[in-house]
Amino acid sequence: MELVVFGFAFDLDTIRRMGPGKIVPGLLWMTLAFSAIVGFTRSFRLERAREALIAVALAPIDRGAVFVGKWIANFALLLMLEAVLLPLTALFFDVNIVDVAGPLALVVLLHTVGLAALGTLFAAVVSRLGRGEALLATLLLPAATPLFLSAVHCTASVLEATSLSADRKWLLLALGLDVLYVLVAVLIFDAILEE
Amino acid sequence: MRRGYDVFIGILFAATVALMPVALYLIFVNAPEEKVMGAVQKIFYFHVPIAAVTFLSVFVLLAGAAGYLWTRRAGWDHLSIASAEVGLVFCTLVLITGPIWAKPAWGVWWTWEAKLTTTLILWLLLAGILLSRAYASAPEQGARVASVLGVVAALDVPIVYKAVDWWRGNHPIVFGAGKTNPLAPGMLSALLVSMLVFVLLYALLVAARMRLAALEDRLAALEDAAWRSQS
Repeated sequence: MELVVFGFAFDLDTIRRMGPGKIVPGLLWMTLAFSAIVGFTRSFRLERAREALIAVALAPIDRGAVFVGKWIANFALLLMLEAVLLPLTALFFDVNIVDVAGPLALVVLLHTVGLAALGTLFAAVVSRLGRGEALLATLLLPAATPLFLSAVHCTASVLEATSLSADRKWLLLALGLDVLYVLVAVLIFDAILEE
Repeated sequence: MRRGYDVFIGILFAATVALMPVALYLIFVNAPEEKVMGAVQKIFYFHVPIAAVTFLSVFVLLAGAAGYLWTRRAGWDHLSIASAEVGLVFCTLVLITGPIWAKPAWGVWWTWEAKLTTTLILWLLLAGILLSRAYASAPEQGARVASVLGVVAALDVPIVYKAVDWWRGNHPIVFGAGKTNPLAPGMLSALLVSMLVFVLLYALLVAARMRLAALEDRLAALEDAAWRSQS
């Protein structure tokens, strides 16, 4: 739906004239970010509705493991979302993604890991506060700035068919962010589950 | 113990009040007027120290938030509350004083340069932390939530800076110019004293806010006890 709105907002001619690398990565990641925020909030809604988070917190495992479970689930959901969004983007905005499928998949995967980790951590916070998507967007979007910058930059290079090796520092940054977010989240997740 | 803390706040207050007129004198009377920018450049003596203190507050926030998550002592959380709130005030001032200077100096109010963008993101992060704390149903929950967000935000800020820097590239325009040109002696002393005053002011505000947070906790405990003895 969002893609359709963007399709109206930016005329296809304009996008063609400017080249796919200029606008399409931004559209793609904005759509992903907002869809992901809805998904992240949902991922804790079921537990909240039935107070099941207490039961989860009581389980005799490390609370970090609870985070890892949630994170993997959100990661899988995001991948499914991307599997739909990427072809749609290519279709609507007339971008050839088949030729660059390999590097594009790498870029998307790398940034989805970190986005899922940060999103899961913040969604847990928002769920504990009894709030919804609005607060999650307020918290997640600024915090994920470096991730989005890197994602948009790398996606642009892929779509413009330039070699990814020039973006090694961005890819390293994304990898570092993935590791940092997951590590920090595993370490501090139990503070959120505590009653 | 509490009296000692009050004396500490008093000393900070006295030092700030005593040095502030000195800084104003150095800035407006003693420091030579900048040739190109004129009087507008005077905001530099406020903007730069405030910005430095804003980023100092991020480190203090990290210490407070991580300390609370580690020890669960209320004192660390008071440090984290105080630093987030005072940091937000200073961050707002940076975002106000910056454009006032940028418009005459650069011709625009705002550019997406690394320092500016990072400050804006930091403002949003700090506001988000305070907002989340306010939403909490119990102060204890608010403390945990704010600590978690504080740790993530504080670790994030340097990365945001680096990322925006890469994204935009280094702007060779005016920002670097002030640094390569050595400041006139009067300018340097004005800047240094102003820096000292703002650090003192920051310490004073944080110390006073921590005292207030401790008093709030005590009041809540007393109210709780009174309510229990009634029922």
